[in-house]
Amino acid sequence: MLSTLLLIPFIGAFALLFWPGQPVPGRMRVVTIVVLGLQLAWSLRVLLAFDPGDGGMQLQESFAWVSSIGLDYRLGIDGLSLPLVLINAALTLVSAVCTRDISQRPRIYFALLLLISGAVNGAFLAENLLLFFLFYELELVPLWLLISIWGGTERAYAATKFLIFTAVSGVLILGAFLGLALFTGTVDFSLTPVLSERLAMGSQLLLLGALLIGFGIKIPLVPFHTWLPDAHTQASTPVSVLLAGVLLKLGTYGLLRFCLGMFPEAWALLAPWLAGWAAVSVLYGSLAAIAQRDMKRMVAYSSVGHMGYILLAAAAATPVSLLGAVFQMVSHGLISALLFLLVGIVYRKTGTRDLEVLRGLLNPERGLPFTGTLMILGVMASAGLPGMAGFISEFLVFRGSLEAFPLATLLCMVGSGLTAVYFLLLVNRAFFGRMAITPPSADPVADARLDIRLAAVAPRETIPAMALATAVVAIGLIPAWLGRISEAASTTMARLPALLASLQNGGVG
Amino acid sequence: MPIISADLTHAGGRPTAAELEAKLLAGQTLLAETPNHLMQVVDVLESYGEVLDAYSINLIYQAEQQFLNPVPAFRYLDGDLSPGKIWRHLIHDRLNFEYAEYCQKSMFWHGTGGLDAYLDSDAFGASCGAIIRRKTGRDPLLALLHPLFPDFLLELIRSAATTHALGQFWRVMSDLFLDLARAEKDGRVSTVAAVVAFMREGLVAAAAKPITYAVEVAGERFWVLPPEAGLTFLADVAVPYVEAVFLRGMPFLGTVSFNAQAQQVSPDQSTFAYGALFADPLPTMGSGIPPSLLMQDMYRHLPQRLHQWYRQTSRGEGDVRVKICLSFQKSMFCVTNAAIAGTFPHPLDHADPAAQAANRAYAASWAARLSGSRTDCLDPSNF
Repeated sequence: MLSTLLLIPFIGAFALLFWPGQPVPGRMRVVTIVVLGLQLAWSLRVLLAFDPGDGGMQLQESFAWVSSIGLDYRLGIDGLSLPLVLINAALTLVSAVCTRDISQRPRIYFALLLLISGAVNGAFLAENLLLFFLFYELELVPLWLLISIWGGTERAYAATKFLIFTAVSGVLILGAFLGLALFTGTVDFSLTPVLSERLAMGSQLLLLGALLIGFGIKIPLVPFHTWLPDAHTQASTPVSVLLAGVLLKLGTYGLLRFCLGMFPEAWALLAPWLAGWAAVSVLYGSLAAIAQRDMKRMVAYSSVGHMGYILLAAAAATPVSLLGAVFQMVSHGLISALLFLLVGIVYRKTGTRDLEVLRGLLNPERGLPFTGTLMILGVMASAGLPGMAGFISEFLVFRGSLEAFPLATLLCMVGSGLTAVYFLLLVNRAFFGRMAITPPSADPVADARLDIRLAAVAPRETIPAMALATAVVAIGLIPAWLGRISEAASTTMARLPALLASLQNGGVG
Repeated sequence: MPIISADLTHAGGRPTAAELEAKLLAGQTLLAETPNHLMQVVDVLESYGEVLDAYSINLIYQAEQQFLNPVPAFRYLDGDLSPGKIWRHLIHDRLNFEYAEYCQKSMFWHGTGGLDAYLDSDAFGASCGAIIRRKTGRDPLLALLHPLFPDFLLELIRSAATTHALGQFWRVMSDLFLDLARAEKDGRVSTVAAVVAFMREGLVAAAAKPITYAVEVAGERFWVLPPEAGLTFLADVAVPYVEAVFLRGMPFLGTVSFNAQAQQVSPDQSTFAYGALFADPLPTMGSGIPPSLLMQDMYRHLPQRLHQWYRQTSRGEGDVRVKICLSFQKSMFCVTNAAIAGTFPHPLDHADPAAQAANRAYAASWAARLSGSRTDCLDPSNF
């Protein structure tokens, strides 16, 4: 069943590449949307087959592939990966739907989109370290191409920076996995916790450190974040949606699955430092966001801040905080995708994202009132207002982490407050006041007379954003839907250190 | 294709005061002479005429039937308290009579011209005294209020007098605008210049029309604005109206903070510039924003020809109120143009140098005021 989640996008990608005749952008897009619709339907089928009461891996599939080097094809899904598989399917579909003006190389563009989605599914489902690594690397090159071919004017710089950073991330992760084999003298790349009786703590810390930096680049955490704002600024809207909504989650997923899941003892040792790191990341991301004048960079920096919550939750590693981490991954995926979509609409209509220039876009007659309305909803959700997904995730993270790391949690709460600051700045500057889309001149009277003729946003253009906004509100109002899927898995994961300790002390009970 | 912001913005022409003055002295229209302008002006004035008709009826109803009513909850219903009318009122299927009140308040507050002078006269005070005595004798609430706040009822009567005067003014203007539409349809008016001439003649014809106002209190009839006061249409109501509504206006709720932030709220009331000729056609369309209220009302009565043209320009129905506002400003410049043309101290072709100098000074003072207004709408490139 899980292999189908890989087959659908991969076969779709190959079908597009070998589609006979001249590629017509419209037709390529429709085919992609159909394939991604199938993928979403199949992901929902997996959801139906999933047993929420079981905290372990389910629906497992495996066959020996290159066993001599420990590379086995082993897939499985649990309450941590299932929500991510679902948002991968949903957000790739959103990306394809909101791709409207691809005139050059539509065949390759849509094939790459499908390839990324398949690879991300593979990474979330892999139960073998090397298999995870293969999929983790597989999405790199397509994304690099998506930025460097269909990006903005500085795309070469941004794409190269992205490639270098994430390649280093890949090398560190591979190094850690191989180091594990080297230190333990086995070629067992299965997802088994590494304990001190098997590996000395020093070696564990070394491997965990490499993984932390590797995934820290991908998440990204300060100070490894500098590639993200550049990549977002230059990427087109659908690619930004994918990058923020799905690809960053590979980093946080890796953090939970491989760092916390495989090195629970070393993790417990480092946890206070990690909580501090999370607070620094949150505060730095939020403060940097305040300083931005490009709307897209501001949203990108907000991602840096909001990803820090997941590190905090992972550091605390309580059942509630880990559940919060899963919620935060999903809600950040939906909210940041929504914000990038809306920034994309503003950019497409006005030709600028400059907060020093844009004003009054909420104007009901000549502005972008519905886009502005959704933007206000999106920033409220991001700032953690009750009734929307952001509140649930932040509340769970803070509630779960407060007792373990009170200071770091309080600092992260300050970061949450700062989210309201920079997003209110964004909304106040771009959406309120007298409408303007050009830089103010020396003559304010002349500026106040400018007649602005933006094209209206067609209702169909807002369908993806409306779908995401609905999901954000739905999760905010009925969080139990998501909680039910992930609760058993996060509880199991949180109990891991205690379980292992009791095993070492002569068994449970 | 990348979108270039600058291509999406349009700056209309901005004639200098000297250019405006030259046009006024040459007897030319301020608004550019184009067939499209003619259509916009005539049609928007037709819808305005329909709206003013309703405003006028309501203001006169308020002044006469809701006189000194301390809680005039049903003042917009024109005395029709049927469930259907109340329901339509509640779901806002109605004209924004609040706009008419905004204009009345603006006139009352700025208080220029003969009407305002009369409201402070002894004769007015004496007739108010009689009215109040009569009213308080039968209304215990007012009988209690009056000794506590002796100026309160007096001020209410002043306000009612302005309301009635504005109702009378709009009666004339409504008929004039609807006549204009008929004249254009039967070919008597076919240029912008003819529109201005038509309105000038209409204003001149009504100039000496007396403005009077009487109320009935407990079966007895009292003059509030008696014929002896000698108040006339043009000098005592039309000119103060233009001053208060076209030029000065009031910084209104919802935008006052923007004006204040930009330090645009003048400490001198006489230099206020928030009137119709200065209004930004890009309002937020919220409740309480006067230009928006009027645009919404005119939208209900838009002639088919103009509506059809709006549908074909820019966002079609989506920004129709902004386009109504632009057309409305064009037409208000025509009305102002007609008012100035009708009030020159001497005929424009007068040979006497002293008369010419007086005309020049008059034109220059108007041109200076108008040069800061939304003259960009005079340009045909502006929708």
